[in-house]
Amino acid sequence: MLDMFLQTFDTGNGFWNPIVWIVAFVVIFLIVVIIRGFGNKNYKKGTGQTKAFLSGNQEYEKTQMHVKASNLYWGWTESMKWVIDGLKKMHTGNVSDYVLWFVVVMGILLLCVGLI
Amino acid sequence: MNFMEIAQTGITIIIGAMALAVVGIVVGLLYKGIDRKIAAHMQGRIGPPLRQPFLDVRKLFVKENVIPENAITWVFNLAPITGLVATITILLYLPIGGFPALLDGIIVAKGDLILILYLLMIPSLAMVVGGFASGSPYATIGAQREMATMIAYEFPLAIIIISLSWRLSLVQGTTHVFSLSTITATPLWGIVGPLGFIGLVILLLTLVIVTPAELSKIPFDSPEAETEIAGGLLVEYSGRNLAMFYLTDGVKTLVMGTLIVALFFPYNLSPLLGLESYTAIIIDILFFLAKLFCVILFSVTLIRVSIARLKIDQIVYTYWVPLTLLGLVGLICLMWDQTIMTQFGMQSIANMLGLI
Amino acid sequence: MNFLDQLLSHAPALLVAIPLLGAFLTPLIGRVNDKLRNIFVIGILGFTGILVILLAQQIFASGPITYVFGSLDPYVGKETVIRILFEIDALSIFMAMIAIVLSFSAALYSWAYMEKNTGLDKYYSLLLLLTVGMLGMVLTGDMFNFFVFLEITSIASCALIAFYINKVKSVEAGFKYIVVSTIGALFVLMAIALLYGQYDALNIAKLADSITFSFVDKIALVLLIAALAMKGGIVPMHMWLPDAYSRAPASVSLILIGTTQAGLYGVFRVLFTLYGNVITLPTISMGWALVILGLLTMLVGVIMALIQIDFKRLIAYGAIAELGYMFLGVGTCLTILANPDITLAQAPFAFEALKGGLFHVFNDALDVGLLFMVAGAVYYATKETSLNRLGGLARNMKYTTIFFIIGLLAISGIPPMNGFASKLLIYESTYQLNPILSIIAILSSIMLLAIFIKVFHAAFLGPKLPQFDTVKEVPRSMLLAMGFIAAFIIIFGLFPDLIVNTIVDPAANALIDNAGYMRWLIGG
Repeated sequence: MLDMFLQTFDTGNGFWNPIVWIVAFVVIFLIVVIIRGFGNKNYKKGTGQTKAFLSGNQEYEKTQMHVKASNLYWGWTESMKWVIDGLKKMHTGNVSDYVLWFVVVMGILLLCVGLI
Repeated sequence: MNFMEIAQTGITIIIGAMALAVVGIVVGLLYKGIDRKIAAHMQGRIGPPLRQPFLDVRKLFVKENVIPENAITWVFNLAPITGLVATITILLYLPIGGFPALLDGIIVAKGDLILILYLLMIPSLAMVVGGFASGSPYATIGAQREMATMIAYEFPLAIIIISLSWRLSLVQGTTHVFSLSTITATPLWGIVGPLGFIGLVILLLTLVIVTPAELSKIPFDSPEAETEIAGGLLVEYSGRNLAMFYLTDGVKTLVMGTLIVALFFPYNLSPLLGLESYTAIIIDILFFLAKLFCVILFSVTLIRVSIARLKIDQIVYTYWVPLTLLGLVGLICLMWDQTIMTQFGMQSIANMLGLI
Repeated sequence: MNFLDQLLSHAPALLVAIPLLGAFLTPLIGRVNDKLRNIFVIGILGFTGILVILLAQQIFASGPITYVFGSLDPYVGKETVIRILFEIDALSIFMAMIAIVLSFSAALYSWAYMEKNTGLDKYYSLLLLLTVGMLGMVLTGDMFNFFVFLEITSIASCALIAFYINKVKSVEAGFKYIVVSTIGALFVLMAIALLYGQYDALNIAKLADSITFSFVDKIALVLLIAALAMKGGIVPMHMWLPDAYSRAPASVSLILIGTTQAGLYGVFRVLFTLYGNVITLPTISMGWALVILGLLTMLVGVIMALIQIDFKRLIAYGAIAELGYMFLGVGTCLTILANPDITLAQAPFAFEALKGGLFHVFNDALDVGLLFMVAGAVYYATKETSLNRLGGLARNMKYTTIFFIIGLLAISGIPPMNGFASKLLIYESTYQLNPILSIIAILSSIMLLAIFIKVFHAAFLGPKLPQFDTVKEVPRSMLLAMGFIAAFIIIFGLFPDLIVNTIVDPAANALIDNAGYMRWLIGG
């Protein structure tokens, strides 16, 4: 009975046993927590120490300190701009285009079964 | 499996995990010291002593552990620990010192290359989450850059791993081609023909260029970029939390080095010299450390000393266009090589050179 | 015991009948008391769930069940099969499990989530009707019946998508959905007519037995695949999906995942069973078409998701990307099956790919479902869906954050979550068809991670924002529903081998075992 739960997941080309990993993870987690426990735990709460580091500038309002979602991954969007712009153009939000795409796919599938 | 076996397996895992945690941290820090020393010499400096990383960790343990007021405390504290723990668990699946991986030999095989690929993401992920959780603009910028870098380099990395396994799956009589024990037991260098040899060299080159990004080293360290964003995702970390990240970096260097050694240079000296028992073990470990040294020298130290930091969009471009193409060329070489070998009866390189 | 046996022998009919009856009783009970109505709906779905489990046990043990309505014998006379029958094999029951898990947690979640809305009697009726439609689609063994259930799901889900009738965008999404699904259903009907005209039968097994892959059959195949793939939200016919998912109430988005997957089930059933006898004739290209559509779906899904700033729209694109994995896995198997030179035994990876694809259907339902519920919880607590205006919620909503982390790790396939197990199966089998397939799959999975880490940052991390100071954790019924799905995710992640062997493997076997599906026809 217990065996069933401990089986290694075999994909024919590789394998993975979650239980073993979890056990190892827990053991190492404990070790790391112990090692970390030797460190200094203290800091001065509520002083300038806990303010966000902004190269000495004054901290802004909280809403401005939060980087917005649309600003993330700039490097990626910048270098992949051509792909993203193309895809955005494809998503018109117009329902007749949706149906057009359906017709296009149908045409391609007709090609696939060798009718056209 | 009866109770005794389960208990035995459990104890092996526990003891092995403890041993690997210690070994991983010590060796990782040692190689960090060597790396710094060599880099210093290349820049004409004397450089810190080899034990400097150990001293650094000790220093960080004495320092205050500041938790900024904008941070989400539990995420902020948990991220560094998770990163380190996940990195150490990778060592369980890697063949260290020329021996089969702990969870690969003693107990039945338990994890494969894809698992390692995913586990390698966790430390980076921990850094990203930790950076985001700091609630500081600098850290956020650094964290999102790290994530973008991750997307960038995983593409060529996936190509390398899949190409190697794919080529291996065509070899007669191999099963479980993603398992590292299979990969180390049948090195591809001896199997492929000339074109495949070129392909393998290209893939190795790609992997060497992927490594510094995986370890966030110059020129791919824009997530940390001290000069622009003041340490980026680590900016709010201090004391023991920073020490955890420091250790993660050391262990991760060891992991990446071992992975490259296992994928491309899984040879041992002892069978060649005809050694046995203890001498063989010692020679193998020393040889492994030497291989590791070479790999780290070429993929980390040399690159980081000789090239300047890239901008984040340049990093993404570098990995997604030139390096991906390079990887694909390597893959295509392997594919054509297979066709040539089967259709025209071309012999493998090892055969031509008379090694087999 | 006798009663239980009786119940079990009629379980296939009851699976559809009970929620259907419940759907029309709900408004009546709603007159009496709101709480009673909620309990009634949850009870109905719970009872249906128990029936599904009992039936599943029976099917996994003793093979497919044929349930004929109104008679014991499907035949009228000697040749004609005109009776409606339910043909339930392991795949059908596998899909039914998904449908019932999603509906049950949606009903649980709705308790608190929809509480403050009016028109809830209709809402719950439609919710049960939608469940009926999904269950019917996956259980039926009759093409026309399939069409009827398809229409039931379309109508019910259209009304549910436009539930916030006072919001323009919801109504717009509902309108788009009804246009797209009506056109899709129309083509399905046309294909059924083509088949009926030729073979004088509507029964899937009967049709599969007599199909010859003539010119008209080819057209019918294309019509069916295209229309059902559109219902399943495959790129480039996915555009209705983000509209619908993001504008519907979160609990409805949850069930909509089930309906798209019922569409995918239709695709698989048509290709593997209906055209199963002529599977080597449609040439390899149909399998490759599935694989390429799958790759496109993944890539377009992740790239579009990465640039979204609306919470639910982002998840919807993520869900599209996940659909690609299923097509990839199943398509890989189809290319091998369709290749007359290779048998399945020579290419064991094909079966693994099929298992991976089907396992991923379940995992996707759980992962995306959990994320939609989290998005709903965030909306419930803050009345805000734009990621640009959220932030710092991990302080106020600890449990929701933990559920989000579970969902995030699961959808991006980080071990030890369930997504990893199914993706591992897909990566480690499809590469043998072509290495590029696995490479793109791995890449998409990492992009999914990036996408949801972005959400994690934007909604849950960051400094404490003054406007969300008073935000509280969501009510218990919503947490319970999220916990229910999260428990499934963790169990599936920790014991992948057990799950694959007990439910996925029989389902995959059933899909490729054509003779088993037609047993009643051939063997009498």
